[in-house]
Amino acid sequence: MNRSRAKAGNRAIVFVILALLAALSVCRLPARADEATTDYWFGGTRLIFEQPQVTGGALAISTTDGGLVRFLGALGATLAYQPGQKYVVITTADRRTVAFDVDSPRYTVGGIAQSAPFAPYASGNAVYLPFVALAKALYVDAVPDGDTTVLQPEIGSLDVRSEKRATVLTLRGATALHFKRITGPRDSHVTLSFSGVGSTLARERSIGQPALASVVIASAGTPKNPTTVVDFTAAPGSAHALLPSDSSNALTLEFAPPGATVGGTPLPAQGSTLVVSAPSQPRPAPLAKQGPQLPTPGPSATSPTMPSATPVISAAPVQLTALTSAGTSDGGFDMHVSLSGNVGYEWHRLPDDRWYVDLKPAVLAVAPRDESLQDDTVKSLRVKGFIGPRDHLPTVRIAFTLTSPRVVNLIANPGGATIAIDAVDDANPQRVGYGQITDGRLVASAETPAPLPPANEEPVPVPTGTWKFAPPPGYGSRLIVIDPGHGGSDPGAEHNGLVEKELNLDMARRLRALLVSRGWIVEMTRDSDIDVYEPNDSARDELQARDDIANDAHARLFISVHSNAAPSVLAMNGTTTYYYKPDSYAFARAVHARLAADLPTKDDGIIKDKFYVIAHATMPAILIESAFLTSARDAELLHDPVFLQKIALAIAEGVGSYTSAPPPVSQIPSEDGGR
Amino acid sequence: MKLLRVVGAVALLGIAAYVGYRLFSHPTVNVGESVAVYYTKGDGASLARWNVSLGPARDRPSVAFYAAVQAVAGPPPDVPAIRFPAGTVVRAVDVKGSTASVDLDGSITTAPSGSLAESGEFKALVWTLTALPGIDAVQVRVDGARVPTLPGGHLELDEPLTRQSW
Repeated sequence: MNRSRAKAGNRAIVFVILALLAALSVCRLPARADEATTDYWFGGTRLIFEQPQVTGGALAISTTDGGLVRFLGALGATLAYQPGQKYVVITTADRRTVAFDVDSPRYTVGGIAQSAPFAPYASGNAVYLPFVALAKALYVDAVPDGDTTVLQPEIGSLDVRSEKRATVLTLRGATALHFKRITGPRDSHVTLSFSGVGSTLARERSIGQPALASVVIASAGTPKNPTTVVDFTAAPGSAHALLPSDSSNALTLEFAPPGATVGGTPLPAQGSTLVVSAPSQPRPAPLAKQGPQLPTPGPSATSPTMPSATPVISAAPVQLTALTSAGTSDGGFDMHVSLSGNVGYEWHRLPDDRWYVDLKPAVLAVAPRDESLQDDTVKSLRVKGFIGPRDHLPTVRIAFTLTSPRVVNLIANPGGATIAIDAVDDANPQRVGYGQITDGRLVASAETPAPLPPANEEPVPVPTGTWKFAPPPGYGSRLIVIDPGHGGSDPGAEHNGLVEKELNLDMARRLRALLVSRGWIVEMTRDSDIDVYEPNDSARDELQARDDIANDAHARLFISVHSNAAPSVLAMNGTTTYYYKPDSYAFARAVHARLAADLPTKDDGIIKDKFYVIAHATMPAILIESAFLTSARDAELLHDPVFLQKIALAIAEGVGSYTSAPPPVSQIPSEDGGR
Repeated sequence: MKLLRVVGAVALLGIAAYVGYRLFSHPTVNVGESVAVYYTKGDGASLARWNVSLGPARDRPSVAFYAAVQAVAGPPPDVPAIRFPAGTVVRAVDVKGSTASVDLDGSITTAPSGSLAESGEFKALVWTLTALPGIDAVQVRVDGARVPTLPGGHLELDEPLTRQSW
């Protein structure tokens, strides 16, 4: 019994010793200078790791180590790791991925499985990775240089593909590729010298294509200052060019056989140095700036609103301090308005016998009113204050519903104005007037008042039911809101000498002129280079402000006008119509049919997308991307006012085919929506 | 002998506890050896997919995170595709119920895309994640916070996106 106990004890001791030895064999010790040396150089400076470890004889670096962060940053690579999870993924600047599995030596480079010298392991909120294997995957080779190790960027891959008769080659490196052309344009060899990079690619590669026979790659120099020369043996008389690359780390060349043409740009002249440029990204500039002025229709094409030429009365709003009203002895009705200063005015007569005047900038110092009257001249009156959705000015509106098209006169007097409504009808009433009330005088605008659309002048009743898509009840059936995308502090995309916000406004103004001429009432979310909400606002505030204009006015339709942009490597061009809500599809289809038929651009179709402005508009809403600023061909068109007019005309035609025509004036619901 | 039995029992209990922990706190997903990762072609609308091989880990959070990172990286570099702006990093993916919350770092707000690109980027992300079993929607966050929209494209992001969003 004692002997068996002694045996068991011995076994336990042996077990413990073996366990200790096993633990020691996998124990991670701080890196030593003579083991997986930590004296690494990269980019001409020593790369210092904060807490390096050595595991299985290889250098292990934490995902949070400052040295690794700097290394990846210099390469334009990003690292994604979420503590507690099992994958660490590094994405290179040219979008290759290197994926490590925690607790497994397997890792993948561009989807191809490799084996690491040790399994990455978690430590706190980080993971230790095999550094040299990672560097190699990023096209950085660890090259011994005396007592140090140089992390040398490499040209890591050469991809060859055939496109029709041409041969396209892409070289990919760890960093941006700087090269100098060594041979001249008439040589059958194209030789490029890349400074600062080495290569471990095969020295010679036979291509065997009509335009290109072979590629020879040779590296020289020192570990810290390498140079790689790539020599392309082309067919005599072949053409070659530089194609857009997806990244500055990539260089793409096209070789075409004699007689064939190449796209892209010519290679630099002999002796010239070039750095591959990154693809252009659609990127709004941080500040608004003026681009080329394109011919635009003037403000005379506006809907009946106060023109910008109207003199500014006062920066501070005046107060409406008193309102008194009374019937007159001759059956008329007078309302006396007391004002604290000079103010602008804009009045409108609507076809259904409503009349209202807006005073701006002005605020109510008395209670709002909403009254029905037992009067032979005036059925009701409403007085309210609000912020103008378009000009953001504080506004006081005084509105009457008349018993018939009565004569209405706005008369200025010291301390304010009087709205005098006569007991007789106006045989030929004016529809709109504006100007200013200044020191007891009424100063009408010198400009010709913008007329209401012809349909308002002589409304032609059309039976309900002829509209293909009747508006929902209560909607401003004659009102279309046009939204010129971007503006003010947000210029939108800028490419090829074009600024999106200016183009959008130009097209929107043209569209407004066409729609107004066809009987529609048009509201613009902006009619100048402004932010609709406020400068440098959030995208949500800005976009919601645009929707608010349409929603508050119960517009019939909402059209957001934009110009598109895409990374140049995609070579995108064409015209797209976006919609989101199901009730907008028929509208999108009608407009896009005309755009596709009438424009010389490529038809990029109708796309459903949850863009904010068309998702939050309560009426059928579309967003039109007219053409691509980033496409040379589209940009040429966008520079042409004739093309811009074609776009506007196609949209207007599309509106017409969707609605057939503006609805009868009897459907105009209120002065709020009928403007 | 008794000591060995004790050691064995403790080891068995430990293994059982670990297996239980893995089963209940990190449910695995049945996705085979690879995940389908979608990308949006240059037309801004049509999608294509490729398969990315998985490591041994199959727990749902890890697979969802991995798939999201691959979707943001996009297909191999020689494939023309609409891609997230260079430098976009997936900070975290959190799956609650059938919604995956993807937290992107703030660099995406400083390198805005146009409407076509932004739509294509998120379409690819949503289709990739909703291809995983049990995930129907994707809530996008930026630096941990919900955002209504991004500068540039103005895709609405304050509610979870689904495949029906397009």
